Amino acid sequence: MRGNLVVGAALVGLVVVTALVSLLWTPLDPQAVDASVRLLGPTPEHLLGTDKFGRDVFSQLMVGAQTTLYVGIIAVGLAAAVGVPLGVLAAMGPRWLGELVMRTSDLVLAFPALLLAIMLAAVYGASTLTAMIAIGVATVPAFARVARAGTLQVLSREYTLAARAGGRSRWWIAWRHVLPNISGMVVVQASVSFAMAVLAEAALSFLGFGTAPPTPSWGRMLQESQELLAVDARLALVPGLAIAAVVLGFNLLGDGLRDRFDPRLEARR
Amino acid sequence: MATRRSALSALVSATVLAAPLALAGCTAGSTAMVGAGPSTLAVGLTAEPQNFDFTTTDGAAIPQALLYNVYETLVKVDSDGEITAGLAESWDVSDDRTVYDFHLREATFSNGEPFTASDVKFSIERVQQDWTISLKSGMDVVERVEVVGDHHARVVLRRPSNSWLRAMTTRIGAMFDPAGVADLANDPVGTGPYDVASRRRGDSVVLTRNAEYSTPENPRPRPGYRTVVLKYYADATALNNALLSGGIDVISGVTAPDSVPQFEADNRFRVLQGTTNGEVVLAYNNRRAPLDDVRVRKALTYAIDRKALLEAAWGGRGKLIGSMVPPTDPWFEDLSGAYPYDPDRARRLLREAGHESLRLDLRVANLPYAVSSAQVIASHLKKVGVTVDIEPLDFPAVWLQQVFTDADYDMSIVQHVEPQDITTFGDPGFYWGYDSDRVQRLLTEADTAPPREYIADMRKVARTLSDAAAANWLFLFPNIVVAKKEVRGLHANQVSESFDLTGLRRQGTS
Repeated sequence: MRGNLVVGAALVGLVVVTALVSLLWTPLDPQAVDASVRLLGPTPEHLLGTDKFGRDVFSQLMVGAQTTLYVGIIAVGLAAAVGVPLGVLAAMGPRWLGELVMRTSDLVLAFPALLLAIMLAAVYGASTLTAMIAIGVATVPAFARVARAGTLQVLSREYTLAARAGGRSRWWIAWRHVLPNISGMVVVQASVSFAMAVLAEAALSFLGFGTAPPTPSWGRMLQESQELLAVDARLALVPGLAIAAVVLGFNLLGDGLRDRFDPRLEARR
Repeated sequence: MATRRSALSALVSATVLAAPLALAGCTAGSTAMVGAGPSTLAVGLTAEPQNFDFTTTDGAAIPQALLYNVYETLVKVDSDGEITAGLAESWDVSDDRTVYDFHLREATFSNGEPFTASDVKFSIERVQQDWTISLKSGMDVVERVEVVGDHHARVVLRRPSNSWLRAMTTRIGAMFDPAGVADLANDPVGTGPYDVASRRRGDSVVLTRNAEYSTPENPRPRPGYRTVVLKYYADATALNNALLSGGIDVISGVTAPDSVPQFEADNRFRVLQGTTNGEVVLAYNNRRAPLDDVRVRKALTYAIDRKALLEAAWGGRGKLIGSMVPPTDPWFEDLSGAYPYDPDRARRLLREAGHESLRLDLRVANLPYAVSSAQVIASHLKKVGVTVDIEPLDFPAVWLQQVFTDADYDMSIVQHVEPQDITTFGDPGFYWGYDSDRVQRLLTEADTAPPREYIADMRKVARTLSDAAAANWLFLFPNIVVAKKEVRGLHANQVSESFDLTGLRRQGTS
């Protein structure tokens, strides 16, 4: 499905552009509190109105995109940087090592990411950093599994058998054949994990264990609007739709990329 | 140490407000099966009692449900802060103010035993000997209790104390029967108008009329409702919805201030807004640089617009007080004008103190009012060159450890709910880090002084603290009660530890 790829890329692109623009410019200071303009509806000055502190919702939404991407990039980057080498190692190393890595990753997988994040926040204080680390650690097994499965496939191909017969070392094979051939699958996994990381960050901020105020975060915007649902649902709708759009975007992008890259689907093309 | 422990209990009782946040999202429906009828009242509350024994279990939830309703005290405090008659019809105080003669009314415990002066002796001595909660220190000043007659008890104090009689209106003044204390955690026995009928953990407590409360031989005016169901909702939104959908008749205290207009606009409901004992305080760590410099503390106090803060953080509901004194204390003085919002003056003071720019951490309890206030404060202080790092700490555990116990903080925000908690400024070990001989001396003098001087002394304490900008009293937490129109007899102010059911009745009944 080409459509998936296009729509996904468009949604993700929109968020990336918003975040980049917000680094340089926002309509108003997203953290400026002004009690005289609290809970305003949309006006020319405040495109999406103001929240209960009188802060501009549109500016917050823009800066919130930064937080969302930042958390996603670091968490997914961390997970891939740890998970992929572990997966390759599990497939290519000695059997006992492979078993150890995979059973440990099962263990981590069984441990809820949110619980880990809440524990980290309790010990080290709630911050974007603890949220990123917790989400990253919890996502490592996903990458390890994908990398291991991909590596096993590549190892059974003729060209790796030929390289082996030619006396190439394991590391040379891993570097020249395995990594390039599994990179597509890893990118697909990264896109899907990114969507999950965005959701997890929003959930953590909603619970008060993620990004600390006053840094704008979509999850905390949701939380702050919770008691105002009956008064002004717009405050919950705006960040809620933003989260939904990003998650949808990364999932569609992941699907689209899978159709292009995943060797397991090659036969069906 | 005693002061420190008792302040801890004040903070623990603030968990009433912690609960809605901690459990936000898990909306537990309330399912008590009680025949709803005109003689039944359902009250929605937030913090559930873990058991019924407030002699050994801290926290605000148990006395909120039981005091005045199940257990009675010799003297009560009314919604204006006045001490009034309870089980004591009247009392005399000796000239040297150390001997109190209480003249008791006829009353009967729910187990059928009559209430007499020997129960007064038993109850007071039991506080001293068997109670374990920190508030028991309020009874330390009692030297002995004498049973003069069946209805005449005499209490002798070691020294005059202005705070003791007021402390007798709290849970430590509750009257017990020697035959009724075997299983306090599950089976409370008191003289009050209600008796605990049943309890569903995580859901509700049902109170029914105590048959012994009013008898033909000893008639007492009964409260209007035969049965009262206390329903507990951890989540503020769930509590609101319960009233909107008719599941309850009264919300004991709204903790989502911006949701109040929806009730005000609805003519089925009445909203009462009054005061509490809860001062929301921005604590300055007086012991740690640069906040050990009075100029810095004053600068920060000038730089925060408390009126705008109250508006933005708590929907303008609450009261500006400017001191550690709620308006229902007799020595209350409105000091909220002492530091008018003046960012220029703040910048000048900071420059004088050598801090053109400053970075401070703000470690707040992870509770809605505190996190909201923190964001407004960060925004205001930014304008005078002070960068604020907000760190919400899990309440109570992490906050108690880092801020309260270790005093590892620059600034913090929490609500202090204990009556007369201004005395905490007399304890240099308290997390304020405030050490002033003058305040310590004034506080000691005040407690033993004749009543007239007591009030003057306490005012001096409050003013001294304000002059030193020892803390920044942001606002007094509001008491917001919402009820169906037909429920009568509710009070706007929450002064006592009890959610007092005794005066409630249904409109159209006597």
